[in-house]
Amino acid sequence: MRRIGIVKCWLNSRFFPLCRWLPVLLLLAGTATGWAAEKVQKVDVFPPTPYDGFIIYESLTLFWILIIGLIVVIRMKLREIERIQELGVEAEDPDAPVLR
Amino acid sequence: MNCPRLKDWLDERYDLKGITTLAKSKLVPAHRYDLWYYTGGITLFLFIIQFATGMLMALYYVPHVDFAHKSIIEIVTKLNMGWFFRSLHHWGAQLCIAFLFIHLFGTLLLKSYRKPREMVWVTGFVLLGLSVFFGLSGYLLLWDERAFAATRVATGGAGAFPFIGWFIKAFLRGGMDVTGDTLLRFYAFHVAILPIITLGLAGLHILLVQYHGMSVPLSVDREKVREIPFFPNVLFKDLSVWLVVLGVLVTLAVLLPPEIAPKADPLAPPPENIKPEWYFLFLLQTLKLFPGDILGLNGETIAILLVTGAILFFFLIPFFDRKSSRGEKSPLFTWIAVVYLLYFATMTVVGFLS
Repeated sequence: MRRIGIVKCWLNSRFFPLCRWLPVLLLLAGTATGWAAEKVQKVDVFPPTPYDGFIIYESLTLFWILIIGLIVVIRMKLREIERIQELGVEAEDPDAPVLR
Repeated sequence: MNCPRLKDWLDERYDLKGITTLAKSKLVPAHRYDLWYYTGGITLFLFIIQFATGMLMALYYVPHVDFAHKSIIEIVTKLNMGWFFRSLHHWGAQLCIAFLFIHLFGTLLLKSYRKPREMVWVTGFVLLGLSVFFGLSGYLLLWDERAFAATRVATGGAGAFPFIGWFIKAFLRGGMDVTGDTLLRFYAFHVAILPIITLGLAGLHILLVQYHGMSVPLSVDREKVREIPFFPNVLFKDLSVWLVVLGVLVTLAVLLPPEIAPKADPLAPPPENIKPEWYFLFLLQTLKLFPGDILGLNGETIAILLVTGAILFFFLIPFFDRKSSRGEKSPLFTWIAVVYLLYFATMTVVGFLS
């Protein structure tokens, strides 16, 4: 019994400080691994660098300018077609000479 | 562009002049509701985008339970513009189904389904069903925890259907539960079976529209309606609308790329507040209205039966609405359409907010 008491005392003296800090260590380790795991799971669905982001937003702006420009051109062409249709001269002359 | 030799070459083999004359002879009525005509064209345009972006992603996607999620992450993070094409495919699907619903309710409210266009309605309705199944099957391919849980709920709901529910559930899942077999099955549906059926049906739908011509609403006097040529007038307007839709689609794809949740774990509990895609929300909210047990019968089964009945009635409206097929106004069916629309919109919003 005495031997056991000695061992117990030895263990207490050696490991008691560690046992006292164990929950704190576990908490820190858990937080760190959890944070790391969260970091791993989060997938970048958009290019993460600011440079890429800038290029993409710039391209989007240019794309909209192109779309608006195309719509304006189509609208102008349509108005021209409607004007010719109203004049009634859009019918193609089958005997018209063709330049080759 | 003027290529006389190419033109002559084609002219010798095909009746190009006949095709041009046919295109120019097609007339489209112009009236105060003609804006609705463009919704069909927009849906077709979005379908084409879905096919193109889907084909691009199919080059890299791996339909295997161990690699599906990883392959999507690689498409998004490693492939040049991969994130953009995936985002386009995602938002294209959302817009496509949204415009399909707009097209459907527009057709319903303007009574464009009336005689002799019943088959146009039938093919269009089946196309909507196929598109919803496209959405469901495509959602699982991501193989993340949200998609997994949503598919489990959706296929489980189909299982509540009396008598044949077990068969539908087993057929969709390819087994008792959502597994790798389900993934492979949904992949086959998404990239092979559904596209072929959709192509055939969409072709038939367009052919029938060309055959019958555009419908004029009952409230518009047919005699006084001005008609404009499809080519080039309406086609040019269609092109303008498509450009705007493309702009909106690209903007959504760039500003709101869809997230990827952690990989599906069949043994893990489903994530909190799991929601299906927005077009299933009205169905989910309807199921929530019913208690678990009604007079000793399963509440979910009763709800599924009622919803199926309501959808079947909706599908058969052209055959019930005799007045509009005689060319008379039918306010009863207008009100029925309004009730359907309000119910769908309200339940979707409630489902989204809850």
